[in-house]
Amino acid sequence: MSVIKIVVVAIAGALGSALANRGIAVYHDGLRPIMPELIEGRMKRAELAAISFGLSFGLVIGFGIPFSLTSSIILVHSLWLGTDIIGTWFPGTFEKGWMKDKKSLWGFIGSLVTGGAYGALLVIGLQTIVNLFEKLPINFFGTLGSLGDPIIYAFAIFPAIAVAMQFGIGKGLITFALTVLARQIASAAGLSSADGIALAVGVIILLVFAIADKPKNEKKTESSMAALFTERAERIKKNLPYIALMGAVYGIACNLAIMMEGPQSITTLAAGDRAAATSITVARAISFIPLKAMTSLSSGVFAIDGFGFVATVGLLSPSWIIAAVAGAATMSLEAYSLVFIGKLLDKFPGVRNAADNIRTSMTKLLEVATLVGSMIAANSMAPGLGFLVVAGAYVLNEITGTRIVRMAIGPIAAILTGILINVLAVVGLYIPAA
Amino acid sequence: MIKVNIGGMNTKEIKDLVEKFAEGKIEVKITSDISGVQEVLKGDADYYLGACATGGGGAISMAIAILGYSRCFTASMPGKPPRKEEIEKAVQDGKKALGFTCDHVQLAVPLIVQAILNNPSAK
Repeated sequence: MSVIKIVVVAIAGALGSALANRGIAVYHDGLRPIMPELIEGRMKRAELAAISFGLSFGLVIGFGIPFSLTSSIILVHSLWLGTDIIGTWFPGTFEKGWMKDKKSLWGFIGSLVTGGAYGALLVIGLQTIVNLFEKLPINFFGTLGSLGDPIIYAFAIFPAIAVAMQFGIGKGLITFALTVLARQIASAAGLSSADGIALAVGVIILLVFAIADKPKNEKKTESSMAALFTERAERIKKNLPYIALMGAVYGIACNLAIMMEGPQSITTLAAGDRAAATSITVARAISFIPLKAMTSLSSGVFAIDGFGFVATVGLLSPSWIIAAVAGAATMSLEAYSLVFIGKLLDKFPGVRNAADNIRTSMTKLLEVATLVGSMIAANSMAPGLGFLVVAGAYVLNEITGTRIVRMAIGPIAAILTGILINVLAVVGLYIPAA
Repeated sequence: MIKVNIGGMNTKEIKDLVEKFAEGKIEVKITSDISGVQEVLKGDADYYLGACATGGGGAISMAIAILGYSRCFTASMPGKPPRKEEIEKAVQDGKKALGFTCDHVQLAVPLIVQAILNNPSAK
């Protein structure tokens, strides 16, 4: 078990819960707007901690852990949603000189220690499960990596889907055709990054449509709100050193492929396609800017992972030291540009709508791609049976209220297939291929 | 006429569903999260619905910022499908912004529309 992995995730966890405890940054986009209630004294810690727990706990189990387990990389959700809960639970006041207040100081130190321990235990726990899987007579864990393959290729079409959602099927089809054309030209020219080029072409077309789109009935953000935004943005700027530190740690974690920002990038990274993962992080970060910027501006509390570009620079950096510096710089720049971005989004409402459509189309594509990838992966473990189990599990989940996230049911079913063939082999009902 | 604004993810799908179940009693419109919620605050619209991956994040985060947490409700989360009684109670309690996960759009929207139609006084 890699000690470096444990240490990095523990530091990221300690820092994450400390930032949440001091109201500097939280991970959950829904928790951020509630933070001023606490900071400005309208809500008690216990109440906020309960809300934070309600918002995040299910996501750690239902969203964070499944992807972390199937990819053997920590999906940041499983770490930082947990530290949101830890940080908000520990005491702390927001008055000046809080460090002299014993209770606040103990809350701060308690968050650091508990957050660190949580991070370390998360890595150890997941690794133990993976190790157990690998000890099974039929090792299926290697095959799981291939379930990300369809995502690597299918992802490039998301801008065309987003265009179709926002601007109609006609423009969507044109974008679709141009994306395919760009991919095949790049591929025929012998370029290795044909999918990346196709994605870039699609994103550019989407942005052009979005910037040109200025609905008349859309109201501008009211000026009183703009003033509040500026005031709260100042609070974030004051906390820049801590935010930069977080950026450095996150940059290192992404550089070493220890942690990753989302289900799409984590799956491609686990499949060994760093270039695809990198372009996905760019697209995801763009799509989250409006949401994260507006929630940060309205609350004065930043996002633990910034907009998400730290993951991009982390993946691109040639070494972990450069990743640390670049991560710190990137996250500081994100925090510093908040007011500017707020104004920009006000000017181009089409871009804000595009962001929502990007997130929708990425999710829909990922659902299809992980399902197909999981079916292929499960089938290469157990020909015939794999298709049956994954397809059955997917539909069963659908008709019972989609209790398991649609994106995660395929990978979970693939793991179950792996466990199942081990059990069947013991009782003689499965004969492993020679 | 009850007015419902929709923002966040899967907006088209939600709009179609609201219209399908509203029996013509709800006027529904796709807005941005901010302007949609501001209209609810001013009383120009009655409800705001939003979906995101988690039901409580992007779906209602700006609603929480503008309307306050006490008027927002997460109707479903990953692993926790929407429940009729909870949604009924939320609407009766005067929750104005309701969020749910993209996975649960098909389950949550009909329940929410029904709850809104059943509680005209909560308007």
